[in-house]
Amino acid sequence: MVPDFLTIAEAAKLIEKREMSPVELTQSRLDRIAKLDGKLHSFIRVLADDALASARAAENEIAAGRYKGPLHGIPLGLKDIYETKGIPTTGHSKVMQDHVPTADAVSVTKLRDAGSVIMGKLATHEFAFGGPSFDLPWPPARNPWDTARFTSGSSSGTGAAVPAGLVLGGTGSDTGGSIRGPAALCGIAGLKPTYGLISRRGILPLAFSLDHAGPMAWTAEDCAIMLQATAGHDPADPASANHPIPDYRAALTGDLKGLRIGLIRHFYTTDNEVNAATRDAIDAAAKKYEEMGASVREITVSPLAEWAAPGIMIMMAEAYAIHEANLRTRFTDFGEIFRDRMALAGLWTAADYVHATRCRRELIDELDRAMQDLDLVMTASAVSEAPKFEDVSKFAILERPSLTMPFNVTGSPAMSVCCGFTETGLPLSFQIVGKRFHDATVLRAADAYERATPWRSRRPSL
Amino acid sequence: MTRQELDAAFARLGLKVPEAERDGILGAVKYIEEMAALVKKPRAVGAEPAHTVAFPEK
Repeated sequence: MVPDFLTIAEAAKLIEKREMSPVELTQSRLDRIAKLDGKLHSFIRVLADDALASARAAENEIAAGRYKGPLHGIPLGLKDIYETKGIPTTGHSKVMQDHVPTADAVSVTKLRDAGSVIMGKLATHEFAFGGPSFDLPWPPARNPWDTARFTSGSSSGTGAAVPAGLVLGGTGSDTGGSIRGPAALCGIAGLKPTYGLISRRGILPLAFSLDHAGPMAWTAEDCAIMLQATAGHDPADPASANHPIPDYRAALTGDLKGLRIGLIRHFYTTDNEVNAATRDAIDAAAKKYEEMGASVREITVSPLAEWAAPGIMIMMAEAYAIHEANLRTRFTDFGEIFRDRMALAGLWTAADYVHATRCRRELIDELDRAMQDLDLVMTASAVSEAPKFEDVSKFAILERPSLTMPFNVTGSPAMSVCCGFTETGLPLSFQIVGKRFHDATVLRAADAYERATPWRSRRPSL
Repeated sequence: MTRQELDAAFARLGLKVPEAERDGILGAVKYIEEMAALVKKPRAVGAEPAHTVAFPEK
Protein backbone atom coordinates (compact mmCIF):
# COMPACT_ATOMS: atom_id res chain seq x y z
CA MET A 1 0.00 0.00 0.00
CA VAL A 2 1.55 3.30 -1.08
CA PRO A 3 1.06 6.13 1.46
CA ASP A 4 -1.13 9.06 0.35
CA PHE A 5 1.71 11.49 1.01
CA LEU A 6 5.39 11.05 0.30
CA THR A 7 8.18 13.49 -0.36
CA ILE A 8 10.47 12.95 -3.33
CA ALA A 9 13.31 12.07 -0.95
CA GLU A 10 11.19 9.51 0.93
CA ALA A 11 9.89 7.89 -2.24
CA ALA A 12 13.36 7.82 -3.79
CA LYS A 13 14.74 5.96 -0.80
CA LEU A 14 12.01 3.30 -1.08
CA ILE A 15 12.45 2.99 -4.84
CA GLU A 16 16.22 2.71 -4.63
CA LYS A 17 15.91 -0.07 -2.04
CA ARG A 18 13.24 -1.69 -4.24
CA GLU A 19 10.72 -1.49 -1.40
CA MET A 20 8.33 0.42 -3.65
CA SER A 21 7.81 0.11 -7.36
CA PRO A 22 7.59 3.20 -9.61
CA VAL A 23 4.55 1.56 -11.21
CA GLU A 24 2.78 1.20 -7.85
CA LEU A 25 3.65 4.78 -6.95
CA THR A 26 2.48 6.14 -10.30
CA GLN A 27 -0.76 4.15 -10.21
CA SER A 28 -1.44 5.40 -6.68
CA ARG A 29 -1.05 9.01 -7.90
CA LEU A 30 -3.34 8.35 -10.87
CA ASP A 31 -5.91 6.94 -8.45
CA ARG A 32 -5.63 10.07 -6.28
CA ILE A 33 -5.98 12.31 -9.33
CA ALA A 34 -9.12 10.41 -10.38
CA LYS A 35 -10.52 10.69 -6.87
CA LEU A 36 -9.62 14.28 -6.01
CA ASP A 37 -8.86 16.40 -9.04
CA GLY A 38 -12.54 16.93 -9.82
CA LYS A 39 -12.48 19.22 -6.78
CA LEU A 40 -9.07 20.79 -7.37
CA HIS A 41 -8.81 21.23 -11.15
CA SER A 42 -5.05 21.16 -10.84
CA PHE A 43 -4.58 19.21 -14.09
CA ILE A 44 -5.40 20.40 -17.58
CA ARG A 45 -4.33 17.08 -19.06
CA VAL A 46 -3.50 13.80 -17.31
CA LEU A 47 -1.06 11.60 -19.24
CA ALA A 48 -1.97 8.26 -17.64
CA ASP A 49 -0.71 5.95 -20.39
CA ASP A 50 2.55 7.85 -20.87
CA ALA A 51 3.11 7.99 -17.12
CA LEU A 52 2.59 4.26 -16.65
CA ALA A 53 4.89 3.52 -19.59
CA SER A 54 7.60 5.73 -18.04
CA ALA A 55 7.08 4.08 -14.67
CA ARG A 56 7.44 0.61 -16.19
CA ALA A 57 10.61 1.70 -17.99
CA ALA A 58 11.98 3.05 -14.70
CA GLU A 59 11.12 -0.18 -12.93
CA ASN A 60 12.94 -2.23 -15.57
CA GLU A 61 16.00 0.04 -15.47
CA ILE A 62 16.22 -0.13 -11.70
CA ALA A 63 15.75 -3.91 -11.75
CA ALA A 64 18.62 -4.08 -14.24
CA GLY A 65 20.86 -2.14 -11.85
CA ARG A 66 20.67 1.17 -13.71
CA TYR A 67 19.31 3.40 -10.94
CA LYS A 68 19.66 7.01 -12.08
CA GLY A 69 19.17 8.92 -8.85
CA PRO A 70 16.49 10.48 -6.67
CA LEU A 71 14.08 11.40 -9.48
CA HIS A 72 14.05 7.92 -10.99
CA GLY A 73 10.45 6.72 -11.01
CA ILE A 74 9.14 9.88 -9.28
CA PRO A 75 5.78 11.29 -10.49
CA LEU A 76 5.99 14.99 -11.37
CA GLY A 77 3.67 17.49 -13.04
CA LEU A 78 4.46 20.23 -15.54
CA LYS A 79 2.94 23.70 -15.56
CA ASP A 80 1.24 23.95 -18.93
CA ILE A 81 3.67 26.51 -20.27
CA TYR A 82 6.45 23.89 -20.39
CA GLU A 83 6.47 22.55 -23.93
CA THR A 84 6.06 18.80 -24.37
CA LYS A 85 6.72 17.01 -27.62
CA GLY A 86 3.52 15.81 -29.25
CA ILE A 87 1.41 16.89 -26.25
CA PRO A 88 -0.59 20.14 -26.31
CA THR A 89 0.95 23.04 -24.37
CA THR A 90 -1.72 25.67 -24.03
CA GLY A 91 -0.73 28.31 -21.51
CA HIS A 92 -4.23 27.56 -20.17
CA SER A 93 -5.54 29.75 -22.99
CA LYS A 94 -8.00 29.43 -25.84
CA VAL A 95 -5.43 31.32 -27.91
CA MET A 96 -3.02 28.35 -27.85
CA GLN A 97 -5.32 25.45 -27.05
CA ASP A 98 -4.29 23.62 -30.24
CA HIS A 99 -0.54 24.23 -29.88
CA VAL A 100 1.33 20.92 -30.08
CA PRO A 101 5.11 21.42 -29.70
CA THR A 102 7.60 19.42 -31.70
CA ALA A 103 10.12 19.22 -28.85
CA ASP A 104 10.26 19.12 -25.07
CA ALA A 105 11.45 22.15 -23.14
CA VAL A 106 15.08 21.74 -22.08
CA SER A 107 14.12 21.32 -18.42
CA VAL A 108 11.50 18.70 -19.34
CA THR A 109 14.16 16.75 -21.23
CA LYS A 110 16.40 16.96 -18.17
CA LEU A 111 13.63 15.74 -15.86
CA ARG A 112 12.90 12.83 -18.22
CA ASP A 113 16.63 12.03 -18.45
CA ALA A 114 16.72 11.87 -14.66
CA GLY A 115 14.06 9.16 -14.86
CA SER A 116 11.06 11.09 -13.58
CA VAL A 117 7.53 10.16 -14.56
CA ILE A 118 5.59 13.00 -16.18
CA MET A 119 2.00 12.74 -14.94
CA GLY A 120 0.49 15.51 -17.02
CA LYS A 121 0.10 19.20 -17.65
CA LEU A 122 -0.94 21.43 -14.78
CA ALA A 123 -3.17 24.48 -14.64
CA THR A 124 -1.66 27.95 -14.82
CA HIS A 125 -2.98 31.45 -14.90
CA GLU A 126 -3.43 32.36 -18.55
CA PHE A 127 0.05 32.66 -20.08
CA ALA A 128 1.45 32.74 -16.53
CA PHE A 129 -0.18 36.11 -15.89
CA GLY A 130 -3.96 36.58 -15.77
CA GLY A 131 -5.96 34.89 -13.06
CA PRO A 132 -7.90 33.41 -11.43
CA SER A 133 -10.10 33.22 -14.52
CA PHE A 134 -13.43 31.47 -14.93
CA ASP A 135 -13.79 32.29 -18.65
CA LEU A 136 -11.02 30.05 -20.04
CA PRO A 137 -11.30 26.56 -21.60
CA TRP A 138 -10.36 25.03 -18.21
CA PRO A 139 -11.39 26.16 -14.71
CA PRO A 140 -8.85 27.65 -12.29
CA ALA A 141 -7.10 25.35 -9.82
CA ARG A 142 -8.46 25.41 -6.27
CA ASN A 143 -6.59 25.51 -3.00
CA PRO A 144 -6.53 22.04 -1.39
CA TRP A 145 -6.61 23.54 2.12
CA ASP A 146 -10.01 25.08 1.30
CA THR A 147 -11.36 24.68 -2.20
CA ALA A 148 -13.33 27.93 -1.95
CA ARG A 149 -9.98 29.73 -1.82
CA PHE A 150 -7.43 30.98 -4.30
CA THR A 151 -4.17 29.13 -4.94
CA SER A 152 -2.41 32.31 -6.04
CA GLY A 153 -0.58 32.04 -9.30
CA SER A 154 0.47 31.75 -11.82
CA SER A 155 1.78 28.22 -11.10
CA SER A 156 -1.62 27.43 -9.66
CA GLY A 157 -1.94 23.78 -10.69
CA THR A 158 1.44 22.87 -9.23
CA GLY A 159 0.52 24.75 -6.06
CA ALA A 160 -2.65 22.67 -5.72
CA ALA A 161 -1.35 19.26 -6.87
CA VAL A 162 1.71 19.00 -4.62
CA PRO A 163 0.14 19.42 -1.16
CA ALA A 164 -2.77 17.19 -2.23
CA GLY A 165 -0.32 14.40 -3.02
CA LEU A 166 -1.35 14.15 -6.68
CA VAL A 167 2.29 14.57 -7.69
CA LEU A 168 5.44 14.61 -5.58
CA GLY A 169 6.76 17.75 -7.21
CA GLY A 170 6.22 19.96 -10.19
CA THR A 171 7.55 22.75 -12.29
CA GLY A 172 6.67 26.39 -11.95
CA SER A 173 7.77 29.62 -13.48
CA ASP A 174 8.20 32.94 -11.72
CA THR A 175 8.21 36.34 -13.41
CA GLY A 176 6.92 38.37 -10.46
CA GLY A 177 6.11 35.73 -7.87
CA SER A 178 4.44 32.90 -9.77
CA ILE A 179 6.32 30.14 -7.92
CA ARG A 180 6.47 31.80 -4.51
CA GLY A 181 2.86 33.02 -4.49
CA PRO A 182 1.21 29.61 -4.90
CA ALA A 183 3.86 28.00 -2.71
CA ALA A 184 2.91 30.50 0.02
CA LEU A 185 -0.86 30.10 -0.22
CA CYS A 186 -0.76 26.32 -0.71
CA GLY A 187 1.79 25.65 2.04
CA ILE A 188 4.62 24.13 0.01
CA ALA A 189 8.23 24.96 -0.82
CA GLY A 190 8.81 26.92 -4.00
CA LEU A 191 12.18 28.11 -5.25
CA LYS A 192 12.73 30.82 -7.82
CA PRO A 193 16.37 30.09 -8.62
CA THR A 194 18.92 32.67 -9.72
CA TYR A 195 18.05 34.17 -13.11
CA GLY A 196 19.67 32.12 -15.83
CA LEU A 197 20.29 29.03 -13.72
CA ILE A 198 17.60 26.91 -15.43
CA SER A 199 17.13 27.17 -19.17
CA ARG A 200 13.97 28.97 -20.29
CA ARG A 201 14.09 27.36 -23.71
CA GLY A 202 10.80 25.69 -24.54
CA ILE A 203 8.87 27.49 -21.82
CA LEU A 204 6.20 29.90 -23.08
CA PRO A 205 7.56 33.33 -22.12
CA LEU A 206 5.78 35.97 -20.07
CA ALA A 207 8.61 38.50 -19.88
CA PHE A 208 12.02 37.51 -21.19
CA SER A 209 14.15 39.48 -18.77
CA LEU A 210 12.25 38.42 -15.65
CA ASP A 211 11.22 34.80 -16.37
CA HIS A 212 12.66 32.18 -14.05
CA ALA A 213 11.89 28.45 -14.20
CA GLY A 214 11.96 26.59 -10.92
CA PRO A 215 10.85 23.69 -8.72
CA MET A 216 7.85 23.41 -6.41
CA ALA A 217 7.60 20.54 -3.93
CA TRP A 218 6.66 19.68 -0.37
CA THR A 219 10.11 20.38 1.06
CA ALA A 220 13.24 22.38 0.38
CA GLU A 221 15.13 19.09 0.04
CA ASP A 222 12.80 18.04 -2.78
CA CYS A 223 13.33 21.42 -4.45
CA ALA A 224 17.09 20.82 -4.20
CA ILE A 225 16.68 17.45 -5.91
CA MET A 226 14.67 18.98 -8.76
CA LEU A 227 17.03 21.94 -9.09
CA GLN A 228 19.98 19.56 -9.37
CA ALA A 229 18.35 17.85 -12.33
CA THR A 230 17.32 21.02 -14.17
CA ALA A 231 20.06 23.60 -13.53
CA GLY A 232 22.87 24.11 -15.99
CA HIS A 233 24.09 26.13 -18.92
CA ASP A 234 22.12 26.08 -22.16
CA PRO A 235 24.01 27.85 -24.95
CA ALA A 236 20.78 28.22 -26.93
CA ASP A 237 19.11 30.28 -24.19
CA PRO A 238 20.60 33.79 -24.43
CA ALA A 239 20.02 34.39 -20.72
CA SER A 240 21.45 31.08 -19.55
CA ALA A 241 24.33 31.46 -17.11
CA ASN A 242 27.52 29.47 -17.58
CA HIS A 243 28.19 28.95 -13.92
CA PRO A 244 29.32 25.92 -11.87
CA ILE A 245 26.49 23.84 -10.43
CA PRO A 246 27.14 22.73 -6.85
CA ASP A 247 25.66 19.69 -5.11
CA TYR A 248 22.51 21.33 -3.74
CA ARG A 249 21.40 18.41 -1.62
CA ALA A 250 24.82 18.05 -0.02
CA ALA A 251 24.52 21.70 1.07
CA LEU A 252 21.57 20.84 3.33
CA THR A 253 23.68 20.38 6.42
CA GLY A 254 21.25 21.83 8.94
CA ASP A 255 24.07 24.01 10.24
CA LEU A 256 23.13 27.68 10.37
CA LYS A 257 25.77 28.85 12.82
CA GLY A 258 27.22 32.16 11.71
CA LEU A 259 24.68 32.69 8.95
CA ARG A 260 23.82 36.40 8.67
CA ILE A 261 20.21 37.22 7.82
CA GLY A 262 18.83 40.69 7.13
CA LEU A 263 15.13 41.06 7.89
CA ILE A 264 13.36 43.53 5.59
CA ARG A 265 10.49 44.12 7.97
CA HIS A 266 9.26 47.41 6.52
CA PHE A 267 8.21 45.60 3.32
CA TYR A 268 5.49 43.79 5.26
CA THR A 269 4.74 46.04 8.22
CA THR A 270 4.41 49.43 6.49
CA ASP A 271 4.99 49.25 2.69
CA ASN A 272 2.45 46.44 2.12
CA GLU A 273 1.08 45.57 5.51
CA VAL A 274 0.39 41.88 5.99
CA ASN A 275 -2.25 40.56 8.36
CA ALA A 276 -1.40 39.86 12.00
CA ALA A 277 -1.18 36.08 11.61
CA THR A 278 1.37 36.41 8.80
CA ARG A 279 3.40 39.07 10.60
CA ASP A 280 3.54 37.03 13.81
CA ALA A 281 4.51 33.86 11.93
CA ILE A 282 7.38 35.63 10.13
CA ASP A 283 8.62 37.20 13.34
CA ALA A 284 8.52 33.77 15.00
CA ALA A 285 10.47 32.28 12.07
CA ALA A 286 13.14 34.98 12.45
CA LYS A 287 13.39 34.11 16.14
CA LYS A 288 13.70 30.43 15.27
CA TYR A 289 16.63 31.23 12.99
CA GLU A 290 18.35 33.00 15.87
CA GLU A 291 17.77 29.99 18.12
CA MET A 292 19.40 27.86 15.42
CA GLY A 293 22.58 29.92 15.46
CA ALA A 294 21.98 32.49 12.72
CA SER A 295 22.12 36.21 13.40
CA VAL A 296 19.08 38.21 12.31
CA ARG A 297 19.10 41.99 12.09
CA GLU A 298 16.54 44.33 10.63
CA ILE A 299 17.62 46.24 7.54
CA THR A 300 16.05 49.09 5.59
CA VAL A 301 16.06 49.40 1.81
CA SER A 302 14.02 51.54 -0.59
CA PRO A 303 10.25 51.31 -0.13
CA LEU A 304 8.62 48.23 -1.64
CA ALA A 305 6.67 50.21 -4.25
CA GLU A 306 9.97 51.41 -5.75
CA TRP A 307 11.02 47.77 -6.31
CA ALA A 308 7.63 46.54 -7.50
CA ALA A 309 6.89 49.32 -10.01
CA PRO A 310 9.79 48.72 -12.43
CA GLY A 311 9.24 44.99 -12.21
CA ILE A 312 5.54 45.22 -13.04
CA MET A 313 6.25 47.67 -15.87
CA ILE A 314 8.98 45.52 -17.41
CA MET A 315 6.87 42.37 -17.03
CA MET A 316 3.73 43.84 -18.58
CA ALA A 317 5.54 45.68 -21.36
CA GLU A 318 7.47 42.57 -22.43
CA ALA A 319 4.28 40.46 -22.20
CA TYR A 320 2.43 43.02 -24.34
CA ALA A 321 5.09 42.79 -27.02
CA ILE A 322 4.89 38.99 -27.02
CA HIS A 323 1.08 38.92 -27.33
CA GLU A 324 0.56 42.14 -29.33
CA ALA A 325 -0.42 40.47 -32.61
CA ASN A 326 -3.05 38.28 -31.00
CA LEU A 327 -4.28 41.13 -28.81
CA ARG A 328 -4.98 43.12 -31.98
CA THR A 329 -6.77 40.33 -33.83
CA ARG A 330 -8.20 38.02 -31.15
CA PHE A 331 -8.67 40.28 -28.13
CA THR A 332 -11.71 38.46 -26.74
CA ASP A 333 -10.15 35.02 -27.21
CA PHE A 334 -8.04 35.90 -24.16
CA GLY A 335 -9.65 35.77 -20.73
CA GLU A 336 -10.94 39.07 -19.38
CA ILE A 337 -8.32 39.39 -16.65
CA PHE A 338 -5.40 38.80 -19.01
CA ARG A 339 -6.66 41.02 -21.81
CA ASP A 340 -7.68 43.94 -19.59
CA ARG A 341 -4.34 43.94 -17.79
CA MET A 342 -2.61 43.82 -21.18
CA ALA A 343 -4.73 46.72 -22.42
CA LEU A 344 -3.35 48.77 -19.54
CA ALA A 345 0.20 47.73 -20.43
CA GLY A 346 -0.30 49.21 -23.89
CA LEU A 347 -0.66 52.65 -22.31
CA TRP A 348 2.94 52.85 -21.14
CA THR A 349 5.41 54.48 -23.50
CA ALA A 350 8.75 53.18 -24.75
CA ALA A 351 10.44 55.78 -22.52
CA ASP A 352 8.53 54.45 -19.49
CA TYR A 353 9.99 51.00 -20.20
CA VAL A 354 13.52 52.35 -20.46
CA HIS A 355 13.13 54.29 -17.21
CA ALA A 356 11.98 51.05 -15.57
CA THR A 357 15.09 49.21 -16.78
CA ARG A 358 17.35 52.03 -15.56
CA CYS A 359 15.61 51.79 -12.22
CA ARG A 360 16.23 48.04 -12.30
CA ARG A 361 19.97 48.56 -12.62
CA GLU A 362 19.95 50.85 -9.55
CA LEU A 363 17.94 48.33 -7.52
CA ILE A 364 20.27 45.45 -8.39
CA ASP A 365 23.15 47.58 -7.10
CA GLU A 366 21.15 48.54 -4.00
CA LEU A 367 20.44 44.94 -3.01
CA ASP A 368 24.08 43.96 -3.66
CA ARG A 369 25.18 46.75 -1.32
CA ALA A 370 22.59 45.84 1.32
CA MET A 371 23.76 42.21 1.25
CA GLN A 372 27.48 42.94 1.36
CA ASP A 373 27.73 41.75 4.96
CA LEU A 374 24.75 39.40 4.84
CA ASP A 375 24.20 35.88 3.52
CA LEU A 376 20.42 36.07 3.17
CA VAL A 377 17.53 38.45 3.49
CA MET A 378 14.13 37.49 4.78
CA THR A 379 10.71 39.08 4.32
CA ALA A 380 7.09 38.14 3.61
CA SER A 381 6.05 36.23 0.51
CA ALA A 382 2.29 36.88 0.77
CA VAL A 383 0.12 39.42 2.56
CA SER A 384 -2.14 36.85 4.19
CA GLU A 385 -3.40 33.30 4.03
CA ALA A 386 -5.30 32.32 0.86
CA PRO A 387 -8.26 34.63 0.16
CA LYS A 388 -11.60 33.44 -1.18
CA PHE A 389 -11.87 33.61 -4.98
CA GLU A 390 -14.48 36.37 -4.86
CA ASP A 391 -12.09 38.57 -2.88
CA VAL A 392 -9.40 38.61 -5.61
CA SER A 393 -9.78 41.65 -7.85
CA LYS A 394 -8.98 41.87 -11.55
CA PHE A 395 -6.20 44.39 -11.00
CA ALA A 396 -4.90 42.98 -7.70
CA ILE A 397 -1.30 42.93 -8.95
CA LEU A 398 -1.44 46.69 -9.48
CA GLU A 399 -3.27 47.72 -6.34
CA ARG A 400 -0.61 46.79 -3.75
CA PRO A 401 3.15 46.50 -4.29
CA SER A 402 4.25 42.91 -4.80
CA LEU A 403 6.36 41.34 -2.03
CA THR A 404 7.95 38.90 -4.48
CA MET A 405 8.71 41.09 -7.50
CA PRO A 406 11.79 42.79 -5.99
CA PHE A 407 13.77 39.58 -6.35
CA ASN A 408 12.75 39.05 -9.97
CA VAL A 409 14.05 42.55 -10.60
CA THR A 410 17.40 41.59 -9.02
CA GLY A 411 17.53 38.01 -10.34
CA SER A 412 18.18 36.71 -6.83
CA PRO A 413 17.34 33.19 -5.68
CA ALA A 414 14.22 33.43 -3.51
CA MET A 415 12.09 30.83 -1.83
CA SER A 416 8.74 30.68 -0.09
CA VAL A 417 8.75 28.55 3.05
CA CYS A 418 5.71 27.45 5.07
CA CYS A 419 5.92 28.83 8.63
CA GLY A 420 2.67 27.83 10.25
CA PHE A 421 -1.08 27.84 9.88
CA THR A 422 -3.95 30.12 10.79
CA GLU A 423 -6.49 29.04 13.40
CA THR A 424 -8.64 27.88 10.48
CA GLY A 425 -5.84 25.70 9.10
CA LEU A 426 -4.60 27.80 6.20
CA PRO A 427 -0.84 27.95 5.49
CA LEU A 428 1.35 30.96 6.30
CA SER A 429 4.76 31.66 4.81
CA PHE A 430 7.92 33.72 4.66
CA GLN A 431 10.39 34.42 1.90
CA ILE A 432 14.14 33.83 2.10
CA VAL A 433 16.45 35.40 -0.49
CA GLY A 434 20.12 34.84 -1.33
CA LYS A 435 22.85 36.40 -3.40
CA ARG A 436 22.86 35.46 -7.07
CA PHE A 437 24.10 31.87 -7.56
CA HIS A 438 23.94 31.23 -3.81
CA ASP A 439 20.83 29.10 -4.27
CA ALA A 440 22.38 26.43 -2.06
CA THR A 441 22.43 28.83 0.90
CA VAL A 442 18.74 29.60 0.42
CA LEU A 443 17.93 25.89 0.29
CA ARG A 444 20.09 25.21 3.36
CA ALA A 445 18.27 27.83 5.42
CA ALA A 446 14.84 26.67 4.24
CA ASP A 447 15.63 22.99 4.84
CA ALA A 448 17.02 23.63 8.33
CA TYR A 449 13.91 25.62 9.26
CA GLU A 450 11.59 22.91 7.96
CA ARG A 451 13.41 20.25 9.98
CA ALA A 452 13.31 22.36 13.17
CA THR A 453 9.58 23.09 12.99
CA PRO A 454 6.47 20.86 12.82
CA TRP A 455 4.83 22.38 9.75
CA ARG A 456 5.85 19.69 7.23
CA SER A 457 3.87 17.06 9.13
CA ARG A 458 0.46 18.55 8.27
CA ARG A 459 -1.34 17.93 4.95
CA PRO A 460 -4.73 19.08 3.69
CA SER A 461 -7.67 16.75 4.31
CA LEU A 462 -9.62 16.35 1.11
CA MET B 1 -6.70 60.15 -18.31
CA THR B 2 -10.24 60.69 -19.53
CA ARG B 3 -12.49 58.10 -21.08
CA GLN B 4 -12.07 59.81 -24.45
CA GLU B 5 -8.29 59.63 -24.15
CA LEU B 6 -8.52 55.94 -23.23
CA ASP B 7 -10.73 55.22 -26.24
CA ALA B 8 -8.27 57.08 -28.48
CA ALA B 9 -5.33 55.12 -27.03
CA PHE B 10 -7.04 51.80 -27.68
CA ALA B 11 -7.87 52.89 -31.23
CA ARG B 12 -4.19 53.77 -31.80
CA LEU B 13 -3.10 50.41 -30.35
CA GLY B 14 -5.63 48.56 -32.50
CA LEU B 15 -7.27 46.90 -29.49
CA LYS B 16 -10.97 46.11 -29.74
CA VAL B 17 -11.69 46.35 -26.01
CA PRO B 18 -15.35 45.54 -25.24
CA GLU B 19 -17.35 48.57 -24.16
CA ALA B 20 -18.34 46.85 -20.91
CA GLU B 21 -14.70 46.54 -19.82
CA ARG B 22 -13.51 50.07 -20.58
CA ASP B 23 -14.70 51.83 -17.42
CA GLY B 24 -13.05 49.17 -15.26
CA ILE B 25 -9.78 49.63 -17.11
CA LEU B 26 -10.08 53.40 -16.79
CA GLY B 27 -10.43 52.97 -13.03
CA ALA B 28 -7.06 51.15 -12.97
CA VAL B 29 -5.18 53.68 -15.10
CA LYS B 30 -4.14 55.51 -11.94
CA TYR B 31 -2.02 52.52 -10.91
CA ILE B 32 0.03 52.48 -14.08
CA GLU B 33 0.42 56.26 -13.99
CA GLU B 34 1.72 56.02 -10.42
CA MET B 35 4.23 53.35 -11.44
CA ALA B 36 5.45 55.37 -14.42
CA ALA B 37 5.99 58.35 -12.10
CA LEU B 38 7.90 56.20 -9.59
CA VAL B 39 10.53 55.05 -12.10
CA LYS B 40 11.20 58.57 -13.45
CA LYS B 41 13.81 59.70 -10.96
CA PRO B 42 16.48 62.31 -11.59
CA ARG B 43 19.43 60.41 -13.07
CA ALA B 44 22.75 61.12 -14.65
CA VAL B 45 22.47 61.21 -18.41
CA GLY B 46 24.63 58.11 -18.65
CA ALA B 47 22.67 56.00 -16.15
CA GLU B 48 22.48 52.63 -17.87
CA PRO B 49 19.46 50.36 -18.11
CA ALA B 50 19.68 46.76 -16.95
CA HIS B 51 19.59 44.69 -20.07
CA THR B 52 20.04 41.68 -17.87
CA VAL B 53 21.22 41.06 -14.32
CA ALA B 54 24.96 41.23 -13.77
CA PHE B 55 26.61 37.87 -13.24
CA PRO B 56 29.59 37.59 -10.92
CA GLU B 57 32.82 36.29 -12.39
CA LYS B 58 33.48 32.60 -11.97
